[in-house]
Amino acid sequence: GTSGPGERPQDRRDRNRTEPEPERNRNGTGAGRRRLEQLYFHGQDPISSQDIPNFWKFFQRLRLFQSLRPDREAAPEPSQPPPGLILPPHYDPRYRINLSLPSPDVGCRDNGIPLECGWEFRWALLHYLHFQQRQSFSRLLRIQRERAALPIARYREQLLDAVAQHQVVLVAGDTGCGKSTQVPQFLLGAGYSHVACTQPRRIACISLAKRVALESLHQYGSQVGYQIRFESTRSPSTRLLFLTQGLLLRQAQRDPLLRGYHILLADEVHERQLHGDVLLGVLRRLLPHRPDLKLVLMSATINIPLFSAYFGDAPVLRVPGRSFPISVRMEGEPGKWERLDPMPYLRVMQAIDHKYPAEERGDLLVFLSGVAEIGAVLEAAQTYAACTQRWIVLPLHSTLSVEEQDKVFDVPPPGVRKCILSTNIAETSVTIDGVRFVLDSGKVKEMSYDPQDKLQRLQEFWISQASAEQRKGRAGRTGPGVCYRLYAKSDYEAFPPYPVPEIQRVALDALVLQLKSMGLGDPRTFPFLEPPPSSSLETAIGYLKEQGALDEAEQLTPIGTILAQLPVDVVVGKMLVLGALFGLAEPTLTVAAVLSVPSPFLRPTHPNPDWTTARKPLESPYGDPLTLLNVFNAWVQVKSERGGSSRKWCRRRGLEEHRLYEAANLRRQFQELLRDHQLLEDASEPSSSIRHRERRELHRLWRSHRECEGRKRKLLRLQDGLDTSSGEEEDGGSHRKGIDIQDVKFQLRHDVSELQASSSLVLASSQLALLQLVLCRGLYPQLALPDPFNGSRRDSEQVFHTRSKASVVPHPTSVFATNPELLHHKDLGCILHRHQLLAFVSLLETSKPYLVNCVRVPALQALLLFSQSLDTNADCSRLVADAWLEVSIPKAEEAVRLLSMALQLRSAWDQLLQQLLGKLERSPSQWDVAKLSRRLLEFLQEKVPYRLHQLTGLEKQNLYVGPQLVMASAPHLQGLFPGMEMIPDEVKGGHRITDFLTYNCLAMDTDLYNNCLRSFWTCPHCQLHMPFTPLERMCHESSCQPPPEEEATQSSSKASSLHRPYHCPICQQDFTFTPTEILRHKKQHH
Amino acid sequence: MDAPKEVQPTGEFTCQLCNLTAPYTYYGQKPPYTRSIVLLEESYVMKDPFTPDKDKFLILGSHCSLCRRSVCVGTECSLFYSKRFCLPCVNENLKAFPLEIQEDMDKKKPQEKSSSKKTHTKA
Repeated sequence: GTSGPGERPQDRRDRNRTEPEPERNRNGTGAGRRRLEQLYFHGQDPISSQDIPNFWKFFQRLRLFQSLRPDREAAPEPSQPPPGLILPPHYDPRYRINLSLPSPDVGCRDNGIPLECGWEFRWALLHYLHFQQRQSFSRLLRIQRERAALPIARYREQLLDAVAQHQVVLVAGDTGCGKSTQVPQFLLGAGYSHVACTQPRRIACISLAKRVALESLHQYGSQVGYQIRFESTRSPSTRLLFLTQGLLLRQAQRDPLLRGYHILLADEVHERQLHGDVLLGVLRRLLPHRPDLKLVLMSATINIPLFSAYFGDAPVLRVPGRSFPISVRMEGEPGKWERLDPMPYLRVMQAIDHKYPAEERGDLLVFLSGVAEIGAVLEAAQTYAACTQRWIVLPLHSTLSVEEQDKVFDVPPPGVRKCILSTNIAETSVTIDGVRFVLDSGKVKEMSYDPQDKLQRLQEFWISQASAEQRKGRAGRTGPGVCYRLYAKSDYEAFPPYPVPEIQRVALDALVLQLKSMGLGDPRTFPFLEPPPSSSLETAIGYLKEQGALDEAEQLTPIGTILAQLPVDVVVGKMLVLGALFGLAEPTLTVAAVLSVPSPFLRPTHPNPDWTTARKPLESPYGDPLTLLNVFNAWVQVKSERGGSSRKWCRRRGLEEHRLYEAANLRRQFQELLRDHQLLEDASEPSSSIRHRERRELHRLWRSHRECEGRKRKLLRLQDGLDTSSGEEEDGGSHRKGIDIQDVKFQLRHDVSELQASSSLVLASSQLALLQLVLCRGLYPQLALPDPFNGSRRDSEQVFHTRSKASVVPHPTSVFATNPELLHHKDLGCILHRHQLLAFVSLLETSKPYLVNCVRVPALQALLLFSQSLDTNADCSRLVADAWLEVSIPKAEEAVRLLSMALQLRSAWDQLLQQLLGKLERSPSQWDVAKLSRRLLEFLQEKVPYRLHQLTGLEKQNLYVGPQLVMASAPHLQGLFPGMEMIPDEVKGGHRITDFLTYNCLAMDTDLYNNCLRSFWTCPHCQLHMPFTPLERMCHESSCQPPPEEEATQSSSKASSLHRPYHCPICQQDFTFTPTEILRHKKQHH
Repeated sequence: MDAPKEVQPTGEFTCQLCNLTAPYTYYGQKPPYTRSIVLLEESYVMKDPFTPDKDKFLILGSHCSLCRRSVCVGTECSLFYSKRFCLPCVNENLKAFPLEIQEDMDKKKPQEKSSSKKTHTKA
């Protein structure tokens, strides 16, 4: 403070001369303090309990300050007091304080505090309160000044006029103009309510809501809120809501008119995220139906005409940005695209050391294309930093733990600069103060999508000019800056002007589903801001049909309706529905959730052997989804037993706990969705009064956390930049007073005991096998075949082939990358019954194409059960699945038996699924489900030896016999296969029997479709004995099913599909009989 | 979320010198937020927006005891010495104030020209 703390002059003199030790002790520590605290501090008034230590610190400083200040002679009094000004006769600093503290009621004499001490304490307390007043007031003043100084402040009237007059207004302003925080406040101030402001990123929603609430001095209090997936502060009194683009889209799915909002602000529309683009399209369609709705688009000054024109030449309000001058140095040689070399980066650090005195603050932000590049530069830069002691080098990318990421906001000691090596995450998502130097590699790694192979590819590209400018701008946020570019001017000029919008480079399955569920018609004719390539739209539509989410007319199927509400990949969504059927809802919920968040496994640049050891017990030999299931379950156990210590548990295993929290949230969302669709039974009500009290306390904790300022910046130490993977002892920023706020949120959101119960279920091996099957059916046709020569290859060289992509490898985190022997058989390429395939969740190409999240499945069974096309030769000893894999079963008898089994299983399974999804009147009976499960398990147990072979290109060309000129009629079949039509296949040849099975269409076999192939066979169920062709036999088997053991009790209530009217020619009576019953009946007459 | 009840602002306080405006919820000497603190002048008060603590209040300003202008408590606009005085009034009557205050005012003048921000940001 500027003016000295006040006190009565005599007191000071007295104390300076002789300060009795006991008194110091009494006031300084111990009993005296406690007594004073009791007297003066009751409840939160006048200072809160958290504030008391601060007060005592202040108290000590005040004493020190006064003992240092020289005594001053009493000033001469002003000679003539002017009229109207009556001031105290003697100067005393206490007159400067406009607060007073009446004595506490307790008798002053008997309170055990010496009089002088009481005085001193009270003055100190008044000072402290006064000091707090000044602190808060200066904050208020600063906020108001900063707001007034924002470039947008001068455009308030213009903006409000434009909004009043037009339905759509575009605000184009550069970074730092203040549009995101101010425009919503202008609108609130002008009396608008039901304002929603969309953001591309969740984190921005939270920070903007906080910032706006603060800037408006909490004037609107709870009226400013945010809503992101799984987290919301929205309440009925909310007038301004920040939410993600994706969430508003979801709301539009439920309420296409978005009736809850009067005015929508779409922020950062220039970033062109998929959701942002779709949202603009949806809003454009909506505006004519909601003439009262106002829309304000906010963007950087990029591509303004595109947005304005899209909304019928909407008026544009241009706001200049506020950036300090930045000088640009082009350091690259023209046209050079070389492999990463850390030298240029070190040279720039050196140049900075050389040119700018260490005491001039300013950090360096380096933009690199990816994690590997960051690792390479990090190593070199750390060596340099260790030599010079002038740098702290920190990596920043999204796969780092939250704690590691937060380090970039900490402050370096004087004379030391931060060097932050970042991906493009720091371009827009993360803003770091104090950056003066930017070093731009000019490159970015972006996910591109190959619709042909459904392959995601992470590739390195030159950035766009817009990104280059954005990166440069990061140097001029707080003062003049310098931007070093590792490319030449001519390179820059060849950059594309804008980044490729996301819609042009990602899979559109989810988008198509969403458009369909909003009833927006044919996605091909949807008025996109810039339409996606029609090939990826077609692929998406085709894929959704293939997956059964769209029917032939491209309308949503029941399963499609559910999938459209799930913010996850279609295959994962399918698993959920399939799992629900077999009573495997709990494990499938978890698997679906963990598969839908980024992998929780941290991958440091140098493998950590401790992590590998600690993760070992969680590893599942069946595959990665089951390993993830184990991880999640173990984590839930740790959380419910030891609460907050799960953080440490995760750290020991190199797990990013944040991902597990996300998975828990997703899991709950899935669970609710399944319940909404009656696919899962409602939860029992667990809440008791104890639980209520617990929850209240947790709520209080969370609220106080929310209201407090975020993480405090810490001071970095030089060694902070050196070791990035330690941190066993350190605690994260939010880990205050032993409270793990993430854990609090977790306890609040989830019914932990329910979660614990479901996570402690140990799956029986039969359940595990069914789960594998469920996963595989969900993932189909994402299958990979082990290369036949893997057995003789080294572990790191195991190769797999998918239908469209040869030579892919399991991702290094996969159990099959570390334990390839799980897939080996001693005698390869031979005839055996244990061939296995890998079903995988996604294909990702970085340095190599990787299979991500694999689960192994028995090959023959998976192919028979799931392939979309199954072609056979005449005796079914050769089967081709999806024109890709060939199965040869030496024993034709066995082949027919298995095929027949598979046919029956598939139809039973599909029927139950349709019942489950409400397509049929009945819901699946427990009994039917149990029967199907049992039969599936039996099917999995089959040990028929076979050869598995991937068709070569040439073989594929000559696969089918083709249309036959003379169609062999099959008179025998009609009676044996009721209701099943035999259609000659006009492309492949042979006969189509079901939508997936084509019989006898494979070439290179002599056409054996004739009588000589018939052999005598007795049906085990109906005892029918006659010559059958394999097909006839199969048909008969599928219609003549074994007598149901327990059905007798139930058969009266439900007419089995096997029942049919039967008129007995002997007794001339009509019955409804199954084939078996007919036989039994006939026997009576003999 | 069950949010605490909001106190509706009673009006808007405006400093007639620096034009600072902020909503106030109480005017007087005994703010409702506290039982133990009494103000020595009739002041415009709001709940302290920078702490979740409900018992904390923030004094925005009051009226100059001489000219009755409403002024904020910022050191560039007013000072308190047993009463509130706006700086124009202090400067007019500088001689009536004790030496300590006069010195402070002298110190303030050159500062105001170079960087007026500093006095405020430094608490």
